[in-house]
Amino acid sequence: MSRERRRLRMPVDTGRTGFWIDPRTKMVILLLCVLSAAMAPSLHYEVLLVLLITCFGIACRKVRYSIIGALAYAAVYFLTIAALKTHGSVQVMLAAFLGLVHKVYPCGILSGILISTTKVGEFLSAMNRSHVSQKIVIPVAVMMRYIPTVREDWHFIKDAMKMRDISPSLKSFLTHPGMTVECIYVPLMMAASKTADELTVASVTRGIENPKPRTSNVQIGFGVWDVVVTACFLALFLAGQL
Amino acid sequence: MAIQSSYLDKKGLTVKDLVTIGIFTALFFVFELIGSLPFAPNPALTFYQPFGIALLCGPVFLLMVAKVPKRGTIAILGIINGIVWFALGMHWGMDLGYIIMGIAAEIVAGIKGYKNIKWNIAAYALFCLGPAGVFVAYFFDPLVWAKTMLEKGTAQEYIDTMTANAPTGMLPAILLGTIVIAVISGLVGKKLLKKQFERAGITETRS
Repeated sequence: MSRERRRLRMPVDTGRTGFWIDPRTKMVILLLCVLSAAMAPSLHYEVLLVLLITCFGIACRKVRYSIIGALAYAAVYFLTIAALKTHGSVQVMLAAFLGLVHKVYPCGILSGILISTTKVGEFLSAMNRSHVSQKIVIPVAVMMRYIPTVREDWHFIKDAMKMRDISPSLKSFLTHPGMTVECIYVPLMMAASKTADELTVASVTRGIENPKPRTSNVQIGFGVWDVVVTACFLALFLAGQL
Repeated sequence: MAIQSSYLDKKGLTVKDLVTIGIFTALFFVFELIGSLPFAPNPALTFYQPFGIALLCGPVFLLMVAKVPKRGTIAILGIINGIVWFALGMHWGMDLGYIIMGIAAEIVAGIKGYKNIKWNIAAYALFCLGPAGVFVAYFFDPLVWAKTMLEKGTAQEYIDTMTANAPTGMLPAILLGTIVIAVISGLVGKKLLKKQFERAGITETRS
């Protein structure tokens, strides 16, 4: 399909205008971000990292999210400085906890930007293009598709539970633990097994078992921006190691 | 039933198995999120986050293994968990822990061909040690952990306090506690499986 389109020079709606980054590049920058955060030499360096991520987020048109993320980081930063003024075991506990926050936070905010700007189709064709095993790609795709459904199912289950005078709260968990556990797990897992069967049929019908290479309407590929963004993150990572 | 048994006879993972793994990984992930929510953002409780995960996911894990009793199921669960938590920006200790413990759990459950529920519970307990990888990384070298935050003046004091009342007993406590909670969760799961799912024909009853 895609090859034919290219030959016929048909306009392809890729959904990308201006700043667009290949999913594979996104993985590389996330890896660089994790490495930078794990080996950050100082707190100031972390601030730089978060600033870079904020700029990147704004370039991805996630302005609100990035600015809120940066402000929250500023709060954590001042909290850390205040926490280091404390003494004794409180300091040890806070240092351990804030250490985790500083290692996780930059990556968390970056991945929020990356995930919200990546479509499932793009992700799948990137995975296929880089020859990742089907054994990983299929479950990941199914998972991304199914997580919102779990939430939907949960609301139905809660309604059904209310009709029978059971509520999924802490109180009922303490008074009738067995009943509550059963009422939560059994419907969720039953629904999951049923959905697994249905989804298998649906995906086989759509040719998931086709041994030929997968084609896609969404065209992916590297561009100038991929190089620029990777270079920025790589430069920051190397700067931290000097 | 005939179709299902032909699937089970087939060696290796079929598309049906992969979809089932995907669905149950999603459910597993949701329970992980719910389980770690009360722990992770709290300074005093962060270190007990594996407890929350171990407590909630047992039944899901056991049902998944019962539905797809084949080589690779648990390893794929571990690898996907590692990837997803990595993509969510978690510390690399957790991601690596998931993958390594996923493979370890795979081997343990594989000894009895994924059919023996006691060995599956043992595999689950091993699997739950995965998220504790972060804390292994922490206790391996608490100083490097806090290095980014420490100025010269506070460093000495930090070292002193660290050595004075170092929570050295904490790591074994976390690991042991995780195993105990995972076994409890596994036993609850076993009961559920027996009471509900085998009777409903969702899993194969072993003859």
